[in-house]
Order: sequence, then structure tokens, then C-alpha cells
Amino acid sequence: MQQLLNTALGGLTLGMVYAAFALALVLIWRSTRVVNFAQAPMAMVTTFVALVIVDAGHSYWLAFAAALASGLVLGAVIERVVVRPVEGGPEINAVILTLGLFIVLHALAAVIFGNRYRSFPAPFGVRGIEVGGTTIALTGFGIFTILAVLVTMGLLLLLFQRTDIGLRMRASAFNPEVARLLGVRVGRMLTLGWALASVVGSLAGLLIAGGSLVHPGYMDSVVVYGFVAAVLGGLDSPFGAVVGGLLLGLALSFVSGYVGSQLVALAALVILMLVLVLRPGGLFAQTAARRV
Amino acid sequence: MRRRLHRPTTLVAAATVGVLLLGACGAGGRDDDGGGGDGGDGGGGATAPGVTEDSIKIGAHFPLTGVAAPGYNEIPTGAKAYFDYVNAQGGVHGRQIEYVVRDDGYNPTNTSSVTNELVLEEEIFAMVGGLGTPTHSAVVDFLNDEGVPDFFVSSGSLQWGDDPSAYPYTFGWQPDYEIEGKIIGQYVAENMPDAKVGLFLQDDDFGDDAEKGVRQFLDDQVVAAERYTSGNTDVGPQIASLQAAGADLVLSFNTPSYTALSQLVALKLGYEPQWFYTNVGSDADLVGSLLSRFSEGAVEGGSSSLDGVMTTEYIPGVDQPDDPWVQLWQKVWDGHGEKGKLTNYRVYGMSHAYAFVQALQAAGEDLTRDGIVEAMEEIGADLEGPQLAPFRYSSDSHLGISGMRVVEIRNGAGEDLTPVLVTDIGDAEIVEDDSGQDGDAPPENGVPEAP
Repeated sequence: MQQLLNTALGGLTLGMVYAAFALALVLIWRSTRVVNFAQAPMAMVTTFVALVIVDAGHSYWLAFAAALASGLVLGAVIERVVVRPVEGGPEINAVILTLGLFIVLHALAAVIFGNRYRSFPAPFGVRGIEVGGTTIALTGFGIFTILAVLVTMGLLLLLFQRTDIGLRMRASAFNPEVARLLGVRVGRMLTLGWALASVVGSLAGLLIAGGSLVHPGYMDSVVVYGFVAAVLGGLDSPFGAVVGGLLLGLALSFVSGYVGSQLVALAALVILMLVLVLRPGGLFAQTAARRV
Repeated sequence: MRRRLHRPTTLVAAATVGVLLLGACGAGGRDDDGGGGDGGDGGGGATAPGVTEDSIKIGAHFPLTGVAAPGYNEIPTGAKAYFDYVNAQGGVHGRQIEYVVRDDGYNPTNTSSVTNELVLEEEIFAMVGGLGTPTHSAVVDFLNDEGVPDFFVSSGSLQWGDDPSAYPYTFGWQPDYEIEGKIIGQYVAENMPDAKVGLFLQDDDFGDDAEKGVRQFLDDQVVAAERYTSGNTDVGPQIASLQAAGADLVLSFNTPSYTALSQLVALKLGYEPQWFYTNVGSDADLVGSLLSRFSEGAVEGGSSSLDGVMTTEYIPGVDQPDDPWVQLWQKVWDGHGEKGKLTNYRVYGMSHAYAFVQALQAAGEDLTRDGIVEAMEEIGADLEGPQLAPFRYSSDSHLGISGMRVVEIRNGAGEDLTPVLVTDIGDAEIVEDDSGQDGDAPPENGVPEAP
């Protein structure tokens, strides 16, 4: 019973991180129709920025804020400088470009920050909470992770559904030409989309790093699982991304605990294939008419 | 979405074909210039590849970058420092040792290509200390087909030495995982007969060989065996299942990063068994530096982080600064090392470099590839060195060090729980070592003679 509970709780926390990462992918997808595979190393770089600040003796929260801010800047700069030249061409060009960025950022991080494993602090302790004499596998940081992702999802939903700027972002992604004719500054919307997505990605990076070990490759599996989670929920839906992340986190945790950890990656791929075959639009896709 | 994914697949396929073609070109080159030069068993004169009147070129593959690099990338720096030290004293039989290290990133595909380069382009005389089970498995056939001495593989897998007829040029070095499992298993069976034993295993040869050894003695006591996949850092489900099975003693066969991860997860779960880590995963300094900075002082920093944990030991390490071998290593490192301090990984590198220099001494002035292999089979079991127990080299076995002792970590140093115990794979009995290897000292000048 305790094992069941602990495996579920572990899956829940991990699922929330996948959810955050899926949210970042969904954001870029919604605002530019590109799947950004460089999201993982971008988040890794900002996490290392936080680590440098913590190492310099500053508080965790300052580092946290700095990582999110550098995520914002990094996202905007990458969109402006690297992705902009290929925008307007076939979307596959941008996707391949993000794969290239993936490798470049990795190599740069290895040169600048080094290749070894380093521990990353957590602000709320790494011991499980005691309930009635037994320890359950939920740390203070785990609760923070869950709350942070839920709040982020809420804010994004508000942004896209209730604000003018969200509407303009959706319009520029959906049909740049028409949006431009209607007076939307499409370029700025694209930059904003990348910047916001990069902030959310940075959050995911910080959440998975907290109380664990980081090295330049530590986000690599997360980009795969985050992508599966995003597809599971439908690439268009922030709510779907979170639900997809949770389902995936729980499923993988149970596979790892009760079947075998060597099957985790395989299970994720099976889920991805099943979704693509049975519900290509994901569990929460909106209208099929949008998929041309 | 599906359409989007097709194109990258094509690209990957194209890249793969490209790599294969490149590989094929490399193999073609080998046929061209390998026709006459190899073989190396011509009687007199130093005609072997990589050997001249005044130099010997040797190679190695190590993960200098990537996830396996921490710790392991220090091994070649230690070996290089020792070779430089020997060179400064005139080399071996008047030959300077040139040591070429290539980065394989712990990726078997890279290991194949860097080994091709080393053997075909650099024309090394021998591979020395190539690291890793999956990585070295990818090149062991090639090295043996080419007749390249493949000495002192940095891995405890059985395959390097249990069947010399399959790999006549390959020699192991560290104690294999099976005898480590046996020695740990017997210690637990004798001293903790009531313990409920959980096994935490890396899901490859490492965990499998060790489990085989442990179960020889503990089959009845094992309540759970959990495996983790290297690369998947979430070991929560595995540790939770050991906890659920009620294990109060966990025998862990894992790499150092996973020692840190398992300790963290145990904190999270409130799980406090007695931990017993393999030698491979118990470097107190490395694990301590990983665990050092978690908040609230929940984890003790530095080298005391593994206090009370049990492990094994087969060469003296930096926690024993008074040991004459460690004093030699310190002198070598101070004189010829790079930046940074002496670590156990550097000591490991120096220890196998020492054994290789000894092998060169034993092979004599007329150095050939077959000659050094024959020499190792003849006198390998008598080699002296930092190892606490003798090697098992003979014409029937190319397995390395034959034993180790069980220690408990206190303040970062190992306190002996047993004398040095030696054994062999299979049913071989575990006995106390009487070779006197433990407690010997290096020669005055720090360069071995032929035994």
C-alpha cells in the first residue's frame, strides 16, 4: 500500500514537470506552429545560470528569478536571431534548426559550465513529509512543483482565452498573412511566444533540477517525455498538456516500479504511437477542421 | 504532425548511411596496409607496430565528456602522469611511452570509430585501460582480430578474462563483479545472517555478474532485487519497492551518480536501511560533492556523507595518505600531474599504468605484441603493485585482481572489517590472502622491474 502511494506520488511530481515542459512546447506550437526541440537545452542553460548565482552565495529565490528572466531573454534572442531567418519557409526547416540548436547549446554549456554532475539545491528540503508515523514520498519541493505548474497553466489559459494579446498571438500563429492584414504585429507576437515558452521551459528545468543532480544532458529525456505529454494532451491545449503530463508521469512511474525501469522509454513510445494512431489530435484537441 | 516527423527520420537514415559508409572506408584502409605489417610474432628485433628504438605508442578510450565523464575522465590524467614519470626516468628499455587518449563519450559507436583511428592511423602498439563494459564490448573483437594487446580493461565484466581462447589479447584488471558479489555475499551471510537483503542493481553485466556472486551465499536472505537503467535518473520506484519488501540491508551495484541518487530518494521516502555499495559506486569524495549542497543540512556535506556505509577496497586510495603506494602516487602527481588534486580515479589510472610498465619490463627488449601477451600469461600472477591481492593471469584466465577486503566508511576513510579475501569465479572458495601484496611497498625509484 505504501509502495503504491509512494510510486503514485513520485509519478505525480514527475508528471507535473513533464506537464510544465509540455506547456512550453504547446506555447511555441500555438504561437509559431513549430515544435521546439531546443527547449531542453535552453532550460538547461538557464538552470545553470541559476546554479552559478547560487554558487556565488546568493539566495535560491534570486537565482530562481534570474533563471526565469534569462529564459525570457534567451527565448526572444533565439527567435529573433536564429529562427527568424527561416520563418516563412517550410516549417520543417525551423524544426531541423531547433535540433541543431539542441546540439550547439549542449556543447556550449559543456564548455562553459563543465560536464560533471552537480547538485542543485531545493528551497524546501528533500525529506519526505511524515503523516501518522510513516513518511510519504512527497517533499515540500514536490508540493511547490505541483502548485507552480498549476498556477502557470492557469495564467496561460487566461492569457490565451481572455486577453487581447493572447488572441493576437493565436491569430499570428494560425494565419500570419491574415493577422498581418488585420494589423497584428506578427513578428513581435512570434518573439513573445518564444520568450514566454522559454520562461515556462526554464521553470520546468528548475523544478526537475531542485534537490537532484544536473549536468548538460539532464533535460534530454524530459524533452522526449514532454513531447509525448504534449501530443497526448493535444499540442493545442495547455490544459491538455498538464493532464497529458500527469497521465504520463503516473504511467511511467508505475511501469518503472512494477514492471521494470528498462521499459520506461519504451512505454512512453508505445503511448505516443497509440495516441497518434487512435486520437491523432490528442485527448483534448479542439476541432478537427483546424488540422489541414 | 505525422508528416512532420517523417522528414527528420529520413535525415537520420541518411546520416546513418553516411556514417556506415565512412566506417566501411576505414575498414577498407585496414586491409590495404594491414596485409604485411601485422602479426608481430617475428622472432627478434622490435618490429611491432607502434614500437621504435626509442618509443612505444599506446592508446586508450575514455569518456572525457558526457554523463559518464565525472570521475572517469580523471583516470587517464593519472595514467599519463605516471607514464610521464617513467619517461622522465628514462622510459622502459630505453623507450619513451607515448600515451594517446581518445574521447568516446561512453558511446559504443564512438568507441568503435576512435579505436579504428587508434589502431589504423595512430598505429598503437597496445590498448591500455579502455573504459567501460558496453563501450569496450564494441571493440574487443576488432582488437583481437587485429592482434592488438588489449590490456587492463577498466571494467569488472567477466568477459575480458574468463575465456582467453575467445579473446587471447584481452586482459581484465580490477576484480570482476562476480567475485566482488561473492565476497560481499559471504560477509553478509556470516556476519548479518538475520538481515533481509535487498539488491539494487544496474541493469546490465555489472548487476547481473554481481547478483550471481551474491546469490551463491545469500539466495535465502534476498527479499527483493530491483534494477535501474543507467540514464534514467528517477530511481524512486525501485527504492520504494525495496522499502515495501522490508529490506533492511541494501547491497547496491551501481555507479557513483546513482549512489547519490539512491541516498536522496531514501531521504525522500524516509527509508533507512544499512547500505552496502560496490567499490565502483562508493567514492566518498565524489558522492559527497554531489550530495553536499542539499538544503537544511539534510545531507552531510563532504567526505563524511557516506558515514556508516559498507563497501570494498582492492587498491589503497587517497584516504590512506600514509600508505607507501599513495605516497608514490602523490609524488608522481605533484611532479607530473595536471591541475587539481590527487583523487581515487587518478590513483586508479596510475595503478593500471604501473602494471602496464611492469608488463613492458617483463616482455623484454625485443618487444612484440605476442611476446607481451605470453609474458603476462607466464609471470602475470607474480606481478607486484598497489593491488591488495595478486592478479589471476595465466594461460587459462585473463581475469584481474583476485580479491578485496570489506570496509566500513568512517569520515571518508575505509575501516577494515575483514582481511584481504581472495577467490575466483564459479565455486572457488573464498580464502584469506597470504601473498603479502597488502602491506608491500613500491621500489625506491617508483618504477617496477620485471618480476
